[in-house]
Parts: sequence; structure tokens; C-alpha cells
Amino acid sequence: MVGVRVLLVCLLAAAVAAAAAGARPNATPGVTANEIHLGSSVPLSGEAAIAGNVARGAEAYFKYVNARGGVNGRRIKFTYLDDGYDPGRAVNNTIRLVQQEQVFAMFSSLGTNNNLAVRKLLNDNKVPQLFVSSGATTFGRDYKKYPWTIGYIPPYSEEGAIFGRYIVKNIKKPKIAILYQDDDYGRDLVSGLRRGLGAKAKSIVARVGYDPTSSDVQPQVTQLKASKANVLMVFAFGKFSLQAFNAVSRLNWKPQIFVNDVSSASALMSIVPQKAANGAISIVFGKDPASSLWKSDKGIRLFQSILKQHGQDITSRDLKDGYFTAGMATAYTMVNTLKKAGRNPTRQSVMNAATHLNEKGNPFVLPGIVIHTTPKSRFPLTQVRLQRWQDNNWRPFGKLISARPR
Amino acid sequence: MAVAAFTWTEFAQQLAAGIREGAIYAGLALALVIIYRSTRVINFAQGELATFTTFIAWSLMNHGLSFWSAFPIVLAIAFTGGVAIERILIRPVENASVLTIVIITLGLALLLNGLMSIIWGGQNRQFHGPFSTRTIDVGGVPISVQDIGIVVTSLALVALLALFFRYTKLGLAMRAAAVNPASSRLVGVRVSWMLALGWGIAAVLGAVAGMMIAPVVFLDPNMMQTILLYAFAAAVLGGLDSPLGAVVGGILLGVTITLLGRYVEFIGSTLKLPAALLLILVLLLVRPGGLFGKVAVRRV
Amino acid sequence: MKLKLVLEILGFVALAVLVAVMPSFVSDFHSREFAIVGMYFIALLGLGVLTGYSGQISLGHGAFMAIGGYTTAILSVDGISGHPVRDIWTIPIAGVVAGLAGLLVGLPALRLSGLYLALITFGIAVSFPQLPKKFGGFLGGTSGQILNLVKAPFGLDLTPNDWMYYLTWGIALVLLAVAWWLLRGPTGRALQAIRDSEVAAASSGINLAFYKTLAFGISAFYAGVAGALYAMASAYVNPDTFPIILSIYLVVGLAVGGLGSLAGLIAGAALIYFLQNHADTVARWVNHLPAVDLNPKQPGISSAIFGAVLILVMLLLPTGAGGLLRKVFRPLTTRLYTRS
Repeated sequence: MVGVRVLLVCLLAAAVAAAAAGARPNATPGVTANEIHLGSSVPLSGEAAIAGNVARGAEAYFKYVNARGGVNGRRIKFTYLDDGYDPGRAVNNTIRLVQQEQVFAMFSSLGTNNNLAVRKLLNDNKVPQLFVSSGATTFGRDYKKYPWTIGYIPPYSEEGAIFGRYIVKNIKKPKIAILYQDDDYGRDLVSGLRRGLGAKAKSIVARVGYDPTSSDVQPQVTQLKASKANVLMVFAFGKFSLQAFNAVSRLNWKPQIFVNDVSSASALMSIVPQKAANGAISIVFGKDPASSLWKSDKGIRLFQSILKQHGQDITSRDLKDGYFTAGMATAYTMVNTLKKAGRNPTRQSVMNAATHLNEKGNPFVLPGIVIHTTPKSRFPLTQVRLQRWQDNNWRPFGKLISARPR
Repeated sequence: MAVAAFTWTEFAQQLAAGIREGAIYAGLALALVIIYRSTRVINFAQGELATFTTFIAWSLMNHGLSFWSAFPIVLAIAFTGGVAIERILIRPVENASVLTIVIITLGLALLLNGLMSIIWGGQNRQFHGPFSTRTIDVGGVPISVQDIGIVVTSLALVALLALFFRYTKLGLAMRAAAVNPASSRLVGVRVSWMLALGWGIAAVLGAVAGMMIAPVVFLDPNMMQTILLYAFAAAVLGGLDSPLGAVVGGILLGVTITLLGRYVEFIGSTLKLPAALLLILVLLLVRPGGLFGKVAVRRV
Repeated sequence: MKLKLVLEILGFVALAVLVAVMPSFVSDFHSREFAIVGMYFIALLGLGVLTGYSGQISLGHGAFMAIGGYTTAILSVDGISGHPVRDIWTIPIAGVVAGLAGLLVGLPALRLSGLYLALITFGIAVSFPQLPKKFGGFLGGTSGQILNLVKAPFGLDLTPNDWMYYLTWGIALVLLAVAWWLLRGPTGRALQAIRDSEVAAASSGINLAFYKTLAFGISAFYAGVAGALYAMASAYVNPDTFPIILSIYLVVGLAVGGLGSLAGLIAGAALIYFLQNHADTVARWVNHLPAVDLNPKQPGISSAIFGAVLILVMLLLPTGAGGLLRKVFRPLTTRLYTRS
């Protein structure tokens, strides 16, 4: 009895859906005469909540652009939902945004696993997955299988390779110890380092991973010090990076430290024991709002004024938070992409625009960086500089280096 | 890839780190046990309370107070907060099911965590503890003064509490109220205030633990979450109604887990928590009340 | 007694009818949301049997959901000796695997009681997500497993969301009926006897070990089925899909639903889903109060709201929604018994 009822309901629903589809044959979801609707899923609660600020930075930038007339006369509506860094919720949010909110495209969702979780369903439904907030190489590399996906920041494995090549060129008898977060993020960095070291990969004398459920990494650093290494790679995240510097200082160890970009914000580096931090090397591609280097920079001034005017619940701390800047940089590229997508953007046209970028002058990344993509090379940000921490500041040195996967 | 081979120096350092970790677990576990003994409740909010009070300390120091000036203020606030929570949240439902009370403490944990993010933000902060960050030489092994300070302070606190419970009238009243509330009332003990007192003391213990560990692991709203898990394990290991068990359990757990994580490659960092669980489970099967706990014998 | 039975059967039929027609009144995405509520409901049914009826507290049922979810993932991706199993058939298998795990946990649990059991099961919830990280291989490690997406039903013209909805609620109704029938009978009485007094139950000849372990097994089976469905709906499993907090949410749902009530569990399941995914709606309601202006996107707001709501609900309704229902219906069901 129930079965017949179900069948009748289904037939009714199908009929209604068919009628609805017939009424608007070619309407692009998420685009109306005055609006383009973008969606994102980021952590706003839980352990990774601070990373969610990328969405808040992007939101402020879109409001700024809207105040200036929008893109080709359309306002950008940006809806972002909290997934607490849980892929199940990220999937739910993405389906809600695509099916219920009918967004035009997904933009800058955060987290490697969260983006992996939704990649297939977005690609199967031909919804653009733009400028993913993750450095996993797969988002730029596997475009043949997933043509609707594109990343943004330099892949972690390339970062590791750059460190490796630097060590080979500049450190005489390196004995390398690695502290890494034991997940894809950390392992990507390690494998990149290996690649960059090439024949010298055997100078890695110790490698200790830590689980993100750890409370402190002092035991791991103690173990690494016992290997008598003279180089320490800190491929960690957030507080673990801080704890590593703490431990190095307390153990009276003085290796050459390399710290990966994600953990290298000035706000973090300035609160660790400076005797351990001085001399540390990292890479950089964005402008760090907490660094005195960019205090009078036009781009950072713009960043801060946009946050103050268009951001919600912005504190003075937020004005120096690199996550907001990263979000704004990505949003800047998004707006350019939308402009390139034409007067009447479609999902296909925005994908074309995203894979034919040649953006110069993004005010939130290092001067000289060109954000460049082709359909076969989907890594927008591939130029970085090396920088050294000295006297409470990051000082870039050398030229722009390529972080494009070979 | 090679992992550093065994050296006595490193072993001593790992041992010291383990003892220090264990001292922190002991502090929180003791707080858990005190609450359990008096109100038969597992306080899932213990960790967040500790972090919250540490943030208050941070705020005070940010406004110019030195650590030692802020310290008594924070303890007073913690004590008042603990008592208030017992009066406002636990007392109204003290006759409800265990589950209901557990949910309330869980709700409190979520609320406090959210409030910390709202008030102070999620960024990691430096916390200047009372101990110097120097390293001294102990028999040829470099040990940090901070680690020694944490262990000594924890043990001193435990000793103070032991003295309080054993030799003061108030401590005796609290113990009586926990063991036999009905009879205690008959002799004039204000049982319900003893329970609140228990929560107040536990909050103070948590505050101290928080202020000691924050300089090492850096302060952020989620600082105590993993530590609380180990504290639960330590409390269960020692026996939920034994304060001595909490302390012994804490230190034992800290040392065992640190050494296992370092020297047993299979466990490494990933399986430390499961290893702790397994150890405790095995122990409980042999001694269902934990190391020092008592299991109620049901007489028919 | 008869009246109560009639009311329960009427309630069940009303629920079934509601389930059948719901999708025609709501959008496609809402069907998906109701489907997920249904999955939580199934898990809560199991937990209700365990905690509400046999009195054993478990703070680790998220782990059983994870076992179910991972079973479905492995079977539908890698399959048995290379042959991927169709997703629907993995559901009973996932339930059985989880149920066996439940029996395994139930055995040592016999030696533990009250809060010791609660903490040990909590330890299981905490430890379980670590296992796939260590045993990367076929468990997928931290990056997990990607399942086949589209839950294409065999030829039925349903959207994937509607299909998930009917599948989930169909199973839920069946499992609800099974639980209800079990609990009405000698098993239910035995479990309640155990909950109220183990000593008295044992003296009446009830085999404590058998029934207590059985309760664990049944509840784990239910959780495993829920986990399998959730894996299908998410098309992705990794350690974060069934996090520690999930076990907490299940217990929250149980408490809010009310111990000993099966119908109240729907309210519990709805609350878990709603508070997680619609914190912004709650924030908007709260903003109606004077002098309150919350930004739901501000980090920490959703946790604070969730926590505050939990505390309020428990303070106001210590016996949960089920308790409320019982109070509401008590005049009807006890009117005939003037001597009580």
C-alpha cells in the first residue's frame, strides 16, 4: 500500500520537475540579472576554525567590489557554511549550496580532504570547484579526470622541493632531521623535500611524525635532537610549529631550521623563543599583514581598510591575520576570473577564464608574482621567494623562484 | 630513514618529559576525582574550565599585572566559578539521570569553548608562566627548569590538598559528605555546600594546571582537549574515587605513554591514545576499581 | 494496557504515512536533510536499547557507526576479492560487522559499570579514528576512501536525495518496529529488569551476561547500519567523517529524546542535525532578543549556541522529549487505572 503511494508521489514529483525544467531551458544557476552567487564550505568551529577566516576575508573583498558596482553590473553574493573541518558536513554543505541555494560555483572551500570529498560530485554535475584552499598537488594535476577543479596556492610538495634544492646548494654537510605532521599535508612536504634533495636524500638522518591529536611535540623534537642533525625541517601546523621552536630552544639545540609557509606567519614566529627562531628559513608568496615590511604597503593598507569597512566583527587582531589576506588574494583572482568570463557568464565560460589567467598586480601577494594558468597547467600561484627570520621580521632574499610542478 | 638510536641522555629527557606530562594529567585527574567523589558526576567541562581561567590570567597579565599578582585573583575567580556552576547547573538536576548531568557538563564544555573563541579568538598565544625557560644540567642531562617547576608545583598542590582533607575540619566535613551524605547531615554538615566546595576546589586545580601547561603548549581555546582525555584515562586508571590514584595514575600514564610513543615504533604518535585505552582496559578487567579505587560490593 | 498498544500502533502508522508523503512537500535538499536525521534516528534507536533499556552508558557509539561506514566503503570500492559489492547490499553486512564488534565490546563491558563504562567507551570513541590513520592500506588512511557517488536506484525514477530518504526511512521504520517488538517482549522486560536492579534481575534467573552483551550487539548493529547509510550519503569516509564529537552528539540526542522512549528519539535526531547544520538559523532567532546581535559566522558562535541550548534543554526537560510525551499522554493511558 505504501509502495503504491510512493510510486504515485514519485511520478508526481517527476512531472513537476519536468515542467519546471521545461520552463527555463538554459538558465545558468546562480546567475541572475543583478547577481552572481558563489558558495564555499570552511571550518568556522572546532580546531581549524581560524583557517575559516579565509572566507571572511573573501567576503569583505566581495562587498568592497559590490560597493563599486560589482562585476559587469552584477553583485557577488557569497554564501559560506561551517563544516567544522568534517568532510561529511562539507559534502552536506556543498550539496545544499549547489542544489538548494543554486550557486553558480564553489569557491575556495578549505581543507584537502573536504575538497577531495566533494570533487567527484561537483565534477559529475559540472559545477566549477574554483581556487580550492589546499596545497595538495592533485587539485592542479588531475585535471583530465576532474576538469572542473582548480587549486590556488603553491603545492606543498613543491615547497618541500624548493627547500631540498636550497639545502643542496647552500649547506655543506647537511644532516637533516624532519618533524612532520603525519597526514597527507606533512607527507607531501616530506616527499617534495626528498625530490628536491635528489642524490643527497640520504642526508636525512631522522624523521619523526606527530599525530594532530598530540598535546605537545617536545618528545618528538627530543628524539630528533638525539640524531645529531644540523638541519631541522619543521613541517607542522599551527601550535605544533610553535611547540617545536619552544622545544628546540629548551634543548639548547641550534640547527638550521626550515619552516613551511602555512606555519610561518609573523604572528606565530614572533611569540616563539627568538634564539631558536632567528635564522629560520621559509618561503613566502603572500604579503604578511603582521610584518613590518608591508606596514606602509598600498596593498596591505587596502586590505586593512576593506576589512574595517566591509568586514563583520573585525577585531584589531584580525587586521594582522594572514588568513584574511589569503582569502582576499583569492577573492581578487575570483573577481578577475568573473570579469574574464564575459557579460553573461556560464559555468563553462568561468572555467575557461580560470584556466587562462594571466593576472598581474594582485595587491595581496608579493610584487612581481604573475598568477598564471593554462588548461594544462592549473597551478595559479607558482612563484615564491625564500625568506629568513631575523630580528623579529621575515626578510625575503633572492629572486622569485618557480614552484611549478615539473 | 633512520630513527635515532637509544642513548641514556635522551632516555632521561624523555622520562623527564613524561613525568612533566603526567604531572599535568594528575592535576586535572585530581580535579575530576574530587568532583566525582562529591557529586558522582564526570565533569566533561573540566578542561575547558581550566583553559577559560587561564585565558582570564592571560588577560590580567596583558593589562600589566605580573604572573604572581594575577595568580591569586585567577584562583579566586576559578573557585567562585566552580561553586557557581555547581549551584546553578548541577544542583537543579542532581536527582535526574546520570545521562542528563553528563549532557549538562558537555553543554557547558561547548559553551565555554565557544565563548573563548568569541572573547579572545582562536589564535595561539604566548603565556608567560612563573618558571624560567632556562635549562639546567642534571647529572649531565639538560632538563628545563620549567618542567621541574611544573612537577614540583603539582606535587606541592597535591600535598596541600591531602593535608587539607586529612587535618582540617572542613576537609573532614567534605569527605564525610562525599561518603555518607545522610549521616553527615545528621551531624550538622551542610552537605550541599560541601558539594559546591568540591567543584570550587576542582576549578582551582584546573586553573593551576592550565597556567602551568600554557607556557609549554601555547594558549588557545582547544589547549586542554587532548590533555583532558588523558586525564580521564588517568582518573580511571587510578580509580575514580581515589585522589591518590589520580595522582599516581597521572604520572604513571604520562611516563608510560611518552616512553611507549618514543620507543615502540608501531605505536609512535598515532596510537598513543589507543594504547593508553588498551592498558587501562586490561587493568580494569583485572581490577575493576582501578589501581586504588573501591568497587561497591553489592550485598543481597 | 490495550489503549497504550493501540496508541503506539496508531503512532507508528501516522509516522509511516508522514514518511511516505514528506518528499512531495519539501525540496530535494530537504529530503536529504530528513534522510540524515533518519540515520541519526537509527543510531539512536540502538543506543536507546542499550542505555535506555539495559542501563549501560556508551559514549563510543560513533565508533560503531564508523565501523559500519568503513565496511560499506571497503566493500563497495574494493569489494570481495576484487568484485565491488552494490552499496545497498553492504548495509546489512555493515550492520553485522558492527554488531559483532559490539558483542566484542560488550563482553569486557560486563566487568565495568556506570561511569567506568562510560569513560571506557569514550576511550573507544577517541581511539577509533586513529586506527585508519595507522592502518592506511585498505582503510584509506587520513585521506580516506571515495565511494561511488550516485545512489542510482534500480530503475526507479528518484533523485539521489529522495532515494537516500526513502531507503533510510524505510530501514528506520523496519528497525523501529523490530526494536519495539523486541522491547515489548521478554527481552525488553529482561533488559529493564537489569537496568533497574542487576541483583534482583539475576535472582529472578535472568542471564545478565547474555542480555547485557546482546544489548551491546544490537545497539552496535543499529549504529553500523546508520554509519553505512551515512557513508553512502557522503560518498566519502575518512577518520574525520565519524569524529569523536559524533559519539557525544549521539548521547546528547538520546538524552534530549528521553531515555526509554522510542518516539522521542526522532526529536533527538532532529536536534543533533539541526544544531550542527543550522546554527545560523538559531543565531537569527536569538537576534530577535533585544540588545543581542550575533554573527553566526563568527568562530565560536555555533559552539556556544549548541552548548547553551543543551544546558537549557536539560535543565528544563531533564527527562527529555520522551518524558514530555509521556507526561502529555499519561492522562490517556492511565485514566483507566484509578488505583495506582
